[in-house]
Amino acid sequence: MMSAPRLAADWFDGRSARARPVEVWLDGGALHFGDQTAPLHSLTWPERQRHGQRQVLLPGGGLLSFADADAFDAWAQASGRSDSAVVRWQQSWRLALLSLVLLVAGLLGAYRWGLPWAVDRVVDLLPRAAEQRLGEHLLSGLDGEWLKPSRLAAEQQQAWRLRWATALSRARGNGGPAVPERFEIHFRDGGKALGPNAFALPGGDIVITDELLKLLSDEPDAVLTVLAHELGHVQHRHGLRLMLRAGAIGVVASVVVGDFSALLAAAPTLLASNAYSRDNEREADRYARTLARAGGVDASRMAVFFERVAKKRGATVERHPVAIAISSHPADEERVRFFSEP
Amino acid sequence: MSDLHAAPEAAVLPSPMSGPRVLEIRFTGSGSEYFRIWAVNLLLILVTLGLYLPFAKARRIRYFYANTLVDGQALSFHGDAWKMFRGFLLLVLLMGAYTFAGKVSATAALVAFLILCGVWPALWRASLQFRLGNTSWRGLRMRFDGALKDAYLACAPLYLPLMVFMAWSALMAPATDTDRAAVQAYGITSLLVMGVVLLLSPLSFALFKRYQHNGYRIAGQQAQLDLSNGRVYLLGLKLLGVTLASALVAVLVLGLLVGGLFIATGFKPDTSAPLTQVGFYAIGLLVYLLVFAVVLPFGAARMQNLAWNGTRSQALGFRSSLKFRSLFGLTLKNWLLTALTLSLYRPFAAVATARLRLEAVQIDSREDPADWVAASLAGHADATGDIAGDFFGIDMGL
Repeated sequence: MMSAPRLAADWFDGRSARARPVEVWLDGGALHFGDQTAPLHSLTWPERQRHGQRQVLLPGGGLLSFADADAFDAWAQASGRSDSAVVRWQQSWRLALLSLVLLVAGLLGAYRWGLPWAVDRVVDLLPRAAEQRLGEHLLSGLDGEWLKPSRLAAEQQQAWRLRWATALSRARGNGGPAVPERFEIHFRDGGKALGPNAFALPGGDIVITDELLKLLSDEPDAVLTVLAHELGHVQHRHGLRLMLRAGAIGVVASVVVGDFSALLAAAPTLLASNAYSRDNEREADRYARTLARAGGVDASRMAVFFERVAKKRGATVERHPVAIAISSHPADEERVRFFSEP
Repeated sequence: MSDLHAAPEAAVLPSPMSGPRVLEIRFTGSGSEYFRIWAVNLLLILVTLGLYLPFAKARRIRYFYANTLVDGQALSFHGDAWKMFRGFLLLVLLMGAYTFAGKVSATAALVAFLILCGVWPALWRASLQFRLGNTSWRGLRMRFDGALKDAYLACAPLYLPLMVFMAWSALMAPATDTDRAAVQAYGITSLLVMGVVLLLSPLSFALFKRYQHNGYRIAGQQAQLDLSNGRVYLLGLKLLGVTLASALVAVLVLGLLVGGLFIATGFKPDTSAPLTQVGFYAIGLLVYLLVFAVVLPFGAARMQNLAWNGTRSQALGFRSSLKFRSLFGLTLKNWLLTALTLSLYRPFAAVATARLRLEAVQIDSREDPADWVAASLAGHADATGDIAGDFFGIDMGL
């Protein structure tokens, strides 16, 4: 019978720091070193690498140290030890690069299919009350930073509320789409930063700015369609989905990019969540058109809204290529066409 | 260890030299090898939806330990990845609850913050116990012997003002921004607290380092850190000076460069145009990055030297001579290449930084460490209550 291959090692017994030169060999499911034996399953075996020392950790705190890594690898192989799959991948440039490619593909796939699926499950699980509290929290934050109390006269606000309520009740009578259990319109002054704007927060709070109402004071149908669009966001809980997505992407980005820079980690979050909301915008547009038609509102007046907003932004947009790149709305023409379709 | 067949029995050889000697630290890791380990680890983390993280971490620690040679012998890591997994779950739960509480309400956020502050020193100690207790050199386990009470005392000067301020701001924060006086009072108090925290941060750094280093043990050796608060405050002042000076230089150089460019080309920018404003932001960002590229390595190099030069035990003395210039050059190179390669350079950067920082340290020993025996044999047996740390395998940092 051929004797098992042997290798020189330094044995540290875990009590004395003195190295004891021993010979090691594998035989009968056990590692023999000097006059000692340890069953194979009780050992922590080192992974094959090009650099560094090889150490076999023994039960009870001792270890065998091998100064010559190449000799150890040759001995381990000759003794019938094979590398784990992970080690084979780590030692091959081709497989390591393949894992990077798979990583990117996996991230893209998770982003395209996994994330929306997971977000939908979480949204289904999250109670409306928690969502509402989140929305209130956001609104109070916005009220401190970006929004001021509306300067619209009380009777004007009342008139807009009345128009909206009338359209909704007419839509209900005509078998329009389901409306959320809870929603509320808030009038606010958006100042220079927000300008003509309307947005829906998680939980059903819809904010519309004085600037938008002023811009469309002669186009109530456009205003009502905008509100219907925001109600679509509320109905489909887009705000919550957006926040969950941005949060998840932020976590993944920080794992990949690491602590290198918060700046780098924030960029994909912003870009990704904007790209996402394009689908949401289309969904809200569909909802708005259905609701508007059922409520006797002329949705095609949205063309005026797009035209005026574009004119208002026009000057800045031309000089701001960035503004187009990060815009979260589908191209205006496409949406005008959608709202004007018979 | 020449001819093994001539010495078949595990004979205890007399040490080749006893008496004072220097234990050199060498780091033999390779960026290209760690790159491949990193790539496969990342894929496994993704495939397991993050659950592989502690296992990846254990592998990374093993790689760095196997390549850290102290006097020719590598460190070894005995940590059980499954225990680290438990610690990882605990931390994820804790941070998840904290983040969620922040989104629910201000009161919930405050309670979560106070709880986190309350358990953090204990977690910190547990992680030190786990890491040290699972590190060995020449078969001798290291230990961390810091008392729980001292962990809380070390954290107190930083945590207490923050906790009081958070509680105060949650209770007293102005409800609306219409009450001018309240807003002003709130702003002034916030600034005051920030100033207090800034003033206390060198003291906190000294307390953290003293707590850590005074708890390090191996065999019969008990580390002791001689680090006065005054020296840390002096370093803090220097850091402030370097920050201001580098900001000034960055602004001057960039200003001269941009101004010179305008004069040379005869271009007069329209200060109200958005593009010009974007340009100003870009310059501001560049100044910010340049300042950090100077201040971070300066602080890191000086703090490492300060902490390790003051550390000694019965037989050991540490010397750290990490040069600011080397770390600055390396940081600049790492940042640039990491940005250019979309973070593919990160593993190379990690290996290069570890090499520079580790090899800057030397250990003077008055004894031959081969003569050491484990603490339990030397009569220093003390069963510290590190069961929590070991059970959960909490491991932070690195």
